[in-house]
Amino acid sequence: MDTTGAAALGGRRVLELADEKGVYCGKLLADMGADVIKVERPGGDATRQIPPFVRDEPDPDGSLFFLYTNTSKRGVTLDLGRAEGQDLFRRLARTADLVVETFAPGRLDGLGLGYASLSAANPGLVLTSITGFGQTGPHRDFRPADIVASALGGSMYVTGEAEDPPVRLAGSQAYVAASVAAAASSLIALYHSSASGRGQHVDISIEEVTTSVTHICGVGKWLDDGIIPRRSGTGLFASVPSGTYPCRDGTVYLMVNRPLHWKALAQWIHEETGNQEVLDPIFEGPSSSRQPVRELIDVFVGDLTRRFTVDAIYHEAQRRHLAVTPLNTAAAVARDPHLAARSYCVEVEHPKAGRLKQPGAPYRHSETPWSVSRPAPGVGQHNEDVFCGELGVPEATLHSFRSGGIL
Amino acid sequence: MTQALAGLRVVEFTAAMAGPWIGRFLAYCGAEAIRIESKQHPDVVRLYVPPRAPELGTQPQLSPWFTDWNAGKRFAALDLTHPRAVELAKGLVAKCDVVIENYSTGVMDKLGLGYADLKPVNPRLVMLSTSGYGDRGPCRDYVTWGPNIEALSGLGALSGLPSRECAITQYAYPDALSALHGLFAVMCALDHRNRTGAGQYISLSQFETTVAALGPVMMELLVNGREPQRPGNGSLHAAPHGCYRCAGEDRWCAIAVSSDAEWERLREVLDDPAWARDPRFATRAARLENAAELDRRIEEWTRERTPGEVMLRLQSAGIAAGVVQNVEDQLRHDPQLRARRFFEEIDHLKKGRVVATGVPLGLTGTPGRSGRAGAALGQDNDYVFGTLLGMTPGEIQECIELGAIETPDDPQGAVPSRPP
Repeated sequence: MDTTGAAALGGRRVLELADEKGVYCGKLLADMGADVIKVERPGGDATRQIPPFVRDEPDPDGSLFFLYTNTSKRGVTLDLGRAEGQDLFRRLARTADLVVETFAPGRLDGLGLGYASLSAANPGLVLTSITGFGQTGPHRDFRPADIVASALGGSMYVTGEAEDPPVRLAGSQAYVAASVAAAASSLIALYHSSASGRGQHVDISIEEVTTSVTHICGVGKWLDDGIIPRRSGTGLFASVPSGTYPCRDGTVYLMVNRPLHWKALAQWIHEETGNQEVLDPIFEGPSSSRQPVRELIDVFVGDLTRRFTVDAIYHEAQRRHLAVTPLNTAAAVARDPHLAARSYCVEVEHPKAGRLKQPGAPYRHSETPWSVSRPAPGVGQHNEDVFCGELGVPEATLHSFRSGGIL
Repeated sequence: MTQALAGLRVVEFTAAMAGPWIGRFLAYCGAEAIRIESKQHPDVVRLYVPPRAPELGTQPQLSPWFTDWNAGKRFAALDLTHPRAVELAKGLVAKCDVVIENYSTGVMDKLGLGYADLKPVNPRLVMLSTSGYGDRGPCRDYVTWGPNIEALSGLGALSGLPSRECAITQYAYPDALSALHGLFAVMCALDHRNRTGAGQYISLSQFETTVAALGPVMMELLVNGREPQRPGNGSLHAAPHGCYRCAGEDRWCAIAVSSDAEWERLREVLDDPAWARDPRFATRAARLENAAELDRRIEEWTRERTPGEVMLRLQSAGIAAGVVQNVEDQLRHDPQLRARRFFEEIDHLKKGRVVATGVPLGLTGTPGRSGRAGAALGQDNDYVFGTLLGMTPGEIQECIELGAIETPDDPQGAVPSRPP
């Protein structure tokens, strides 16, 4: 047994054939120590063109999206439409534990690189496909987009103000959530593969992940109360009070979920504003008892929050064990003292783009810490290391592949 | 067929959503998940008053969220302020692989069940704590729910229409997001343990997880020093891109056109109207420049049609489009979710059968199973303390009388143990 294992996924090899739907999956694996080899088309993937760019200068090594989502990976190029490219990929796949791909369903099979073909040579291999709607079903060939999955997955219908159109979240969260589910499911499949010797095809549908993520507004609630959830601003339908409230210099989010918390809030409102009515026992109990007077309760809460600055009410509310947090801009997150005390953000030195400050570990492992082991790769940066150094392809062959457009 | 995580055992000290979801997913994949609860600190999700029968009062077994998020688990009840209960909990931990907890920061330590207490009992243990702020730092004791994290992380203010201050979800997105990250984090630690034999402790801060999920957006500020614009439904690199009103009450279709070739196909679907030949829409850059007018033109077309028709006509032309579905659309009218049997019917001890949202892990070789819906506090005491810990009925009774083991409130719910 290897007892060193400084990285959680040290020794796992992953091949990534992913566009923006799945690159975060590869990043999660790579930052935990897997050897993730990103396979791009010759000249580099289209995700290198996603704006904005470092210093707003368009450059294949300057896309902020690309730089963030490809940390700790190595990069090679291959034309998978050509026999030589397919052969190299097949050889690479024999050395891998996992392949993550985001092609339209059937495309890998069409290239002779589908699960049946790859697993014949490597029975323990896990192939994870991340697609808009899954590998089966009448919509499997539908074109996906983050906003389209957010729409079909039910998240948009319930997000935004009642009088506005439905709205999607920043940062392509349908893709992000699907990528995390794919990463977790891949490791579950590898757990089984390590025990049984049998890999499998993991079929992630972004529509399904989004539907799962919106569960609080999902079928269980609807079948129980007969109310189809729709957009209703910033408050959560089930919690009263909840939502954004104005302060002297900004906005906070406040949520009450327990009878005890309501009593503490009501007492504070009373102390601060002199409001007597708020102490009326008819408002006590679970949120359901305040649901019919939600707007009145919001007025009471607003009278309190308006008296404070964001910072003052945040910490005073928390001193009273009330769930109040600031509505932060990106700039406020960047200077947040708690994150700073935890040294959350990291700086990654990139040979072309320079020092890049970025969000750090999403979780803290005591023995195998998350870390960025290298910056996002340049186009084909590791072609020689991987193809010559590891697969034993002669240098001369590699040169002819390069001039022939296979790399 | 065997399940992927058959043989793995998980003990949960959890409440609400972010913790229980992890156990739910592990149980779905074949792990045995045992949830410890106590009456002194009931899960907020159990404080459920059925909206159609409020006269029944609080019904801890009827919450559709509780039953779904806890499907497939065993339920044991312990008063962890009692030393004997802590001993029993440790006995369970000694026999398990994974502990998941999302009590307030520091509570497990105070109970004598922190990682420092549990590691000697089980050095191979993987333990995950998930909380708003993580286990250290000046705000570690602060209280949050999912939507608080949306505000705190920037997700709220970075999302929404440009005319608004923010958008906050109705579904506590950070709870789900951090549960998925937590599941991944646990599987990483198990991969490491299976290779080295060593367990470890994982602390997850939902604040940090959510900021990480916004990475590229945050880097606009961290690298370029500029507060990102609230994008609404638009895109920096695709136009038209948005949510378009369709025929009917509150009906909408999302459309995303990312290339000139797709734009040409969209023009064909629209019967190549004169306005679409305007040079202001000829290239992607031009369309991005004139996106607002483009959106108005497209909406003139979509609002005459149902969202289903818009989606099918555009998808037939190879253009990304999708109905903005509500929950009824998803359950009753979505042929894709139906063909893939995404929604499941699962057993519920009091309701008979309930519809549960599927678990989107796509394990085609080792399909998951949802098991029994979440049941009563202490439902499976006999199995957990009798079968698993080997206690005799007399010993269990003694612990009940001591107050260490708690019994289910609702005798109807106390069906003899059967596999969940």
